[in-house]
Amino acid sequence: MSLFLQELVVGLATGSIYALIALGYTMVYGIIELINFAHGDIFMIGTMISVTILSALGITAESHPTGFTLIGVMVAACLGSMLLCAILGVVIERIAYRPLRNAPRLAPLISAIGVSLILQDVGKLWKGINFISFPQIFPKTSYHLGPAGNGVDISSVYILVIIVAVALMIGLQFMVTRTRIGRAMRAVAQDREAAALMGVNVDQIITVTFFIGASLAGAAGFIYGLQYGSTIFSIGFTLGLFAFTAAVLGGIGNLVGAMLGGVLIGIIEALASLIPDSTAPASHGFGLPHGGAAWHEAIIFAVLILILVFRPSGLLGSQTPEKV
Amino acid sequence: MSTSVSSRTFLPERDTRQRLIKWIVALLVPVMVFTIWSGESIINAVISPGTASGNVPTDFPSLVQAAIFTAIFYVAVIALAGYLVAADSGRRGMLELWVDVLVFALVPLVLVIFFGLIIGLALCAIVWPVYFLIRNQVRKALNYTAPSPLEGLKLLDAEQRVLVMERAIAGGFWFGLAFAVVSLIVDLVFFISGSLTTTLLIWAIVRTILLPIAGYFLGRLSGWIALRRTLPARDSSNGNSQSSTNGIGNGRSKRRRLEVLSTSRAKEEVKDLVPNDLPLRSAGAQRFYLIILVAFVLFYPLIDPFLFGFGTDGRLAGYGDAGYYVILALGLNIVVGFAGLLDLGYVAFFAIGSYAWGILGSTQLTNVLNLAPVNPHLLSWLFWPMLLGGALIAAFWGVLLGAPTLRLRGDYLAIVTLGFGEIVPIVFLELDKYSNGPNGIVGVQSPAFFGLQWSVITPTPYYYLILALIAITIFANFRLRDSRLGRAWIAIREDEIAASSSGINLVNTKLFAFGAGAFFSGIAGAYHAAKLGGVSPDNFNFTDSVVFLAMVVIGGIGSIPGVIVGALSVYAVNLFILAQLDTLAADPTNFMFTVKNSIIHVIPGFTFGNIRNLVFGIILVVIMIFRPEGLIPSARRRRELRHAEDEGPGGDVLDVVPGAPGFETEVRVE
Repeated sequence: MSLFLQELVVGLATGSIYALIALGYTMVYGIIELINFAHGDIFMIGTMISVTILSALGITAESHPTGFTLIGVMVAACLGSMLLCAILGVVIERIAYRPLRNAPRLAPLISAIGVSLILQDVGKLWKGINFISFPQIFPKTSYHLGPAGNGVDISSVYILVIIVAVALMIGLQFMVTRTRIGRAMRAVAQDREAAALMGVNVDQIITVTFFIGASLAGAAGFIYGLQYGSTIFSIGFTLGLFAFTAAVLGGIGNLVGAMLGGVLIGIIEALASLIPDSTAPASHGFGLPHGGAAWHEAIIFAVLILILVFRPSGLLGSQTPEKV
Repeated sequence: MSTSVSSRTFLPERDTRQRLIKWIVALLVPVMVFTIWSGESIINAVISPGTASGNVPTDFPSLVQAAIFTAIFYVAVIALAGYLVAADSGRRGMLELWVDVLVFALVPLVLVIFFGLIIGLALCAIVWPVYFLIRNQVRKALNYTAPSPLEGLKLLDAEQRVLVMERAIAGGFWFGLAFAVVSLIVDLVFFISGSLTTTLLIWAIVRTILLPIAGYFLGRLSGWIALRRTLPARDSSNGNSQSSTNGIGNGRSKRRRLEVLSTSRAKEEVKDLVPNDLPLRSAGAQRFYLIILVAFVLFYPLIDPFLFGFGTDGRLAGYGDAGYYVILALGLNIVVGFAGLLDLGYVAFFAIGSYAWGILGSTQLTNVLNLAPVNPHLLSWLFWPMLLGGALIAAFWGVLLGAPTLRLRGDYLAIVTLGFGEIVPIVFLELDKYSNGPNGIVGVQSPAFFGLQWSVITPTPYYYLILALIAITIFANFRLRDSRLGRAWIAIREDEIAASSSGINLVNTKLFAFGAGAFFSGIAGAYHAAKLGGVSPDNFNFTDSVVFLAMVVIGGIGSIPGVIVGALSVYAVNLFILAQLDTLAADPTNFMFTVKNSIIHVIPGFTFGNIRNLVFGIILVVIMIFRPEGLIPSARRRRELRHAEDEGPGGDVLDVVPGAPGFETEVRVE
C-alpha cells in the first residue's frame, strides 16, 4: 500500500508538469483547432533557457544558494523561461500558422510538425546531443508521512512543483473566466466570426493565447528541470506527446479537462511501474515482460484509446452533435 | 485524306512555320543536351561496342536493351514534336514556351547531370516553385491574363483536319531533319578531330537520311493521335445523316457541354482538346511522356552506367529504398487522401509487415517453437506468398485498429492512430521472445527467383521487384479511386453526414480505407525486411509516421502522381541530400568543406546530418505557406482551393441528365 501511495505522489508531481504543458495544447486547440505539435518543443527550449539563465546567474551544480538569493534566482529563471518561451510561441504563430489560417486543415498541422522538427534541431545545435544537467538549486529534503518503515516519502521538490503548477493553473483559470481578455478568448473559441463581429480583435486574441500557452510551457520547463535534474533536446517530443494525450484525454479545448488529464496520465505512468516483470521468476508469469515501466507509454495510450472509445470527446469534453 | 506527300510538309505555310520553329527549338535543345551527355554514347556502344569506355556494359543482352531504350526514346520525342506542332493553337507566345521548357526540361537535365538523379530532381522541386512564384509576379506586373481556352474552342471541318495532319507530319519531319543535321555537324567535328571511328561515321550518315524519313512517318502517327482529340464538325456532304449521337455530331454537343461547364472544369477539359493553348500539358502529350518515363524506368539499371558512370549498384540500392517509401506514401494516401482520415500512426502497419516476414523469414519462428529450421532455400521461396501474407496481416490489423476509431472525429482520430503507432513498436520491442527485442531480427532471407542473385552487391533484382510492386500499387490506387468504394471514400472525406445520408455505410467504408492503406504498408514492410536482411525496432518511430504524412501532404493530398513525387522528394531531401553533403564536406578540395568549417567555428560539433530535421522542418513550413495544396494537387482539390478566383457566373452546372451517356465523365471525381 505504501508503495502505491508513494507512486501516487510521484505521479501527481509528474502529472502537474504534464498538465501545465497540456494547457498550452488545449488552449491553442480551443481557439484555432490546431494540434500545435511544436508546443512540446517549446517546453524543451524552456528547460534549456532555464539552464542558461541559471548558469548566467553564476549557479553551478555545486552552489547551494539559500534564503532570498534562492528565491530570487528561481523566480528569475522561471519568469525568464516563461517570457522567452512566450515570445517564441508568438513568433512561431506569426510565421508558421497565421499565413495558414484559411488553408486546408492539414496544412497548419504539417507546418506545426515542421516547426517541431526545427526546434528539436535548434535545441540539438544549442546544447549538444547529450543530456545536460540542470543545477539542483532547490534543497531536497524528504518529509515522511505515516508510520516508520511503512509510509510515504514526499520530497520538497515535489511539493514545490505541485505548488507552482497549481498556482499557475488557478491563475490561468481566473484569467480565462474572470477577465475581459479571458472572455474574449472564450468568445473566439466559441465562434470566431461572431466574436469578430462583436468587436473582438481575433488576431490579437490568438496571439495572446499562444503567449500564455507558451509561457506555461516555459514554466513547466523550469519545474521539470528542478524535478529531474537533466534535460535533452528530444525531451520535448516525448513529454509533448504525453501532454497532448492528456489534453485529449480530458477533452481537448477544455482547460479543466487538460489539468485532470495531465494528472491522470502522470498517475497512470507512475502506477504502471508497479506492474511486475513476467519474465522474472518471482512473478509466476503474472505481469508484462520487462516490467510495467517499459510499457508505460503503451499503457498510457491504451488507456487513452479505451476512454475515447467510450467517451469520444474525452472525459470532460462536450458531446457536441456534428453540425450539418 | 490524301496519302500522297503534300508539298506543304516540305514548304510549310507561315502559320505552320511559326509553330515549327517554336516547337523544334523547344524540343531540340533538351534532346541535344541529353544526346551529347549520354544518348550518343549509348548508341555508339550499340553500333560499335569496341569503342565503349569506362564501366559501360558491352555484352549482347545489355546492348539490345540499350538499343531498345534509345529507339523508344528518340521515336517518342520525334512523335511528340509532330503532336505538339499539330496540337498547338498558336495563341501563346514563343518566348514564354521557351522559358517554360528551359525551366522544366533543361534545368532538371543539367541538375541531374551534375548532381545525380535523386538530388537533381529534388533540387528541381525547389527550383520549380520559385519559378512559379517569379512567373506569377512577372505576370501580375505585366497585367497578363491567359487567353480564355473556351474562345479557341472550334469544330474542325475536313479541311482543317487535313491541316492538323499536315502540321503533325511537318513537325515530325522537320524535327527529325533538324536533329539529324545538328547531330551530323557535331559528329563531323568529332570525326575531323579524330575521335570518331569510321563505323560510327557511316552510322552518322545513315542516321541523317533515316531520321527525316522516320520523322515523316512518326509525324503521321502523331497526327492520327492528335486528330482523335479534335472536335469534328458535321460534314456538309452527308449532312442528311441522322448520326448526331455518334461520331461526327458529338463534336458540337461536346462543345456545347464545355461551354456550359463551370469555368474551372471547362479549362481542365479543354486542355485535352486539339488545338489548345498548352499542348505540353495536354493528355495527348502526357502519353508520350509516360512512354519515355516507362522506358527510362524499365531500362534504368542498364543505362545508369552511361548516365552517371561508376557506382550503379549503390545508386540502384538507394532507389530500391526510395521505392518502398513510394508504396507507403501511396498506401497512406488512401487513408488520408481519399477517405480523409488523419492517420498519425501509419508506421505501425509498416512494422507489422516488416516483422511478418522478419519472423517467418529467419530462424526466429522455428527457434521459438523449438522446431528444426526450415531449409533456407525453401524459406526464400516463401517470400512470395508472404508478400501477400504480410500485406493481409497488416490489413487485418488495420481493420482491427481502425475499429475503435469509428466513432471519433478529426483530431481525436489522429491521436488514437498516433497511440497505435506508439503501442505497436513497443509491443515488438518488449515481446522479445518473438521479436528478439531491441536487437531486432537478423538473418532474414532474401527472396528467391530462379537463380537470381539477391544481395547488397546485386541490387538489380530488388530494383525490378520494387518496380513491379510500385506498378501494382499505382494500378490498384487508380482502380480503387475510381471504384464505387473510392467514390464512397471521397464522399466521406467531403461530408460524412451527407455521405451517410446518401446510403454509404460509414463503418464498412472507413474500415476498408484503413485495411487498404495498411495492406500496402504490409507489402512495403515485407520488402523492407527482405532487402535489409533484418528488422530493427528503431525504424518504426513517430517521426517515420510524420515523414510518411509529409510525403502525402507535400506531394498533394489525394493526388496519385503528386504523392509519388512527394515521396521521392521527401526521401531525397530527408535521407539523401544531407547525408551526401557530409560526404562532400569530408573532401578538403570541395567547396562544402570550407562551408562546414566556417559553421563549425560558430557551432561546435556541427554536421549536416545533425541539421537534417532543421532543413526538413523549414521545407515543410515553407511549402505549407506557399503551396498548401502540395506540389501536384489533384484536380478536384485545385478546384476547391482556387474556387473563388476561377468560378464563373454559371457555377457548377450539371448539364447532362443523370443516366445519360457522358454523365459518368461529367460527375467523375478525382
